[in-house]
Amino acid sequence: MKKKPIRKVAKKIDGTKRQTIIAGPSEISQNREEELAEIDRIAKMLVRRDFELSTLRERRELELKELKKRTEELEESKIALTSILEDIEDSRRALMNMLEDAEDGRKKVEEEKNKTATIIKNLADGLLVFDKGNKLSLVNSQAEIFFQMKTEEVMGKSLSQLAILPIFKPLVELLLKETAGIFRRELHLKENLILEISTIPLTTEKEKLGKLVILHDITREKIVEKMKTEFVSLAAHQLRTPLSAIKWTLRILLDGDLGEITSEQRDFLEKTYQSNERMISLINDLLDVTRIEEGRYLSKLTLVNIEEVINLVVNSYKDEIKRRKIKFEFKKPEEKMPQIMVDVEKMGLVVQNLLDNAVHYTRPGGEVIISLNRGAKDIEFSIKDTGTGIPEEQQERIFTKFFRGTNAIKMEAEGSGLGLFIAKNIIDAHNGKIWFESKQGEGTTFYFNIPIYEKEEFTEFLTKF
Amino acid sequence: MKKRTKSSSPHKKHMAKKILIIEDEEIVLGLLQKKLSQEGYEVSVARDGEEGLKKMREIKPDIVLLDIIMPKMSGFEVMEEMQKDSGLKKIPVIVVSNSGQPVEIDKARELGAKDWLIKTEFDPQEVINKVKKQLKNL
Repeated sequence: MKKKPIRKVAKKIDGTKRQTIIAGPSEISQNREEELAEIDRIAKMLVRRDFELSTLRERRELELKELKKRTEELEESKIALTSILEDIEDSRRALMNMLEDAEDGRKKVEEEKNKTATIIKNLADGLLVFDKGNKLSLVNSQAEIFFQMKTEEVMGKSLSQLAILPIFKPLVELLLKETAGIFRRELHLKENLILEISTIPLTTEKEKLGKLVILHDITREKIVEKMKTEFVSLAAHQLRTPLSAIKWTLRILLDGDLGEITSEQRDFLEKTYQSNERMISLINDLLDVTRIEEGRYLSKLTLVNIEEVINLVVNSYKDEIKRRKIKFEFKKPEEKMPQIMVDVEKMGLVVQNLLDNAVHYTRPGGEVIISLNRGAKDIEFSIKDTGTGIPEEQQERIFTKFFRGTNAIKMEAEGSGLGLFIAKNIIDAHNGKIWFESKQGEGTTFYFNIPIYEKEEFTEFLTKF
Repeated sequence: MKKRTKSSSPHKKHMAKKILIIEDEEIVLGLLQKKLSQEGYEVSVARDGEEGLKKMREIKPDIVLLDIIMPKMSGFEVMEEMQKDSGLKKIPVIVVSNSGQPVEIDKARELGAKDWLIKTEFDPQEVINKVKKQLKNL
């Protein structure tokens, strides 16, 4: 049993032919030896092979292990990579979202911008924006209409370039003159268009961005104002006719031209005459106000000694002062006063209004003092009384049209509240200043000054009228 | 009555000077007419500028009292017409108006008016005084 497999094996191993092995009997033992050696050799070889094989197997196993490990590692890497990929995907999505958000934001901003632009465009007021370098950087539709031009024609132009266009000239002049800013300045742009100009500096905390010019159409207001003034003027003139008829009739009755009258009749007629006089003076005040509003108030300026103007008024009040038992004094200056340029009639009216107030609001036994002083460049007039005074909280309104102090109304029901308004306007028109000091219950002092002009200043002053 | 006798004396002195009042306001017109007649003047009246000019040419008054705002023809227009007419040019005019703006007064002066009275500021007696003063200057 054993041989066969060995033969077979031998045959297989060295391929020796069977005939060669089955030789003679001597040969047989020798062959056997050889066979055994051969077997041994083969066996050894087999062992060696087996060993090699097991080594190989071991190595193979190691390799397999290694491979497995690598596979695991790769698997891990794959997982890691997958998660990175996922992260990347997430980031990408996040980025996309952000981009979408940004796009939304941009759209919103765009919308807002368009909204603002639409508002600016359709604003009833005209808007001009000048940049830091005083170049025109924004013009809205209303401004285009006001100036009868297209944005493209003027955009980016500087003030001096704009000044060349006749319609822009008055505005440019105004802007160049009033660099500090303009607030509600009237500008007669063209026939039937009066604008009210205001400027607003555009600044951030850090820097100046330029200037916004607001053009507000006040043509209608001006027309209404003019109509109102004309109406008052007309009404006042119309009222004057019957008032003078009444005045004259009463006078003729009082003079006895239409027959003798009893003392009772005289008394009533006298009172009616006085009432009528007050009405006339109210109408005159109203007419003065309308003339102030129409800007045609001062008329003839003449060089006069102001003392004479004051004397005239004071003389006309002598009886009234005496009747009211008021102490009166006119403190004239020792040095000779220079002559000043005034509208005599209007200046008389100022003194009259101030004296009238002083006399009316000072109780019997009180005192009224007029003083005249020469300042460095002006003549200062003051009138001090010991009268009722102006309540502190009402002092700032004292020069307002139709305003009367509450205590003044209590003392004297009559009064238009126009006297000081008229006085202030007259003094302003003479380039003077009017002010007062007053304490309720103690008295009031009104002051005004009128500048003394040197020859050349004087010519300049005259050209303003 | 006293007044009347008083006023009858200048009548002779003046040799009845002729006054034309051009005024559309009835009361003022009536009062002036009465007052001036009492003073002994020969008074004629007209109620608008046109009638005034017509009467002026007819009666050749010694002095004219002239209102400014009147129907048909204003006082200014009357004076303009008077300036063009050598026969009327020299007749002194006293304007008796409701208004009294310096510009108006200046304009009237340029047109030859001698004086300007604002009705609300004057009494009829003062008008008489102004008339007397003007007539004395003749």
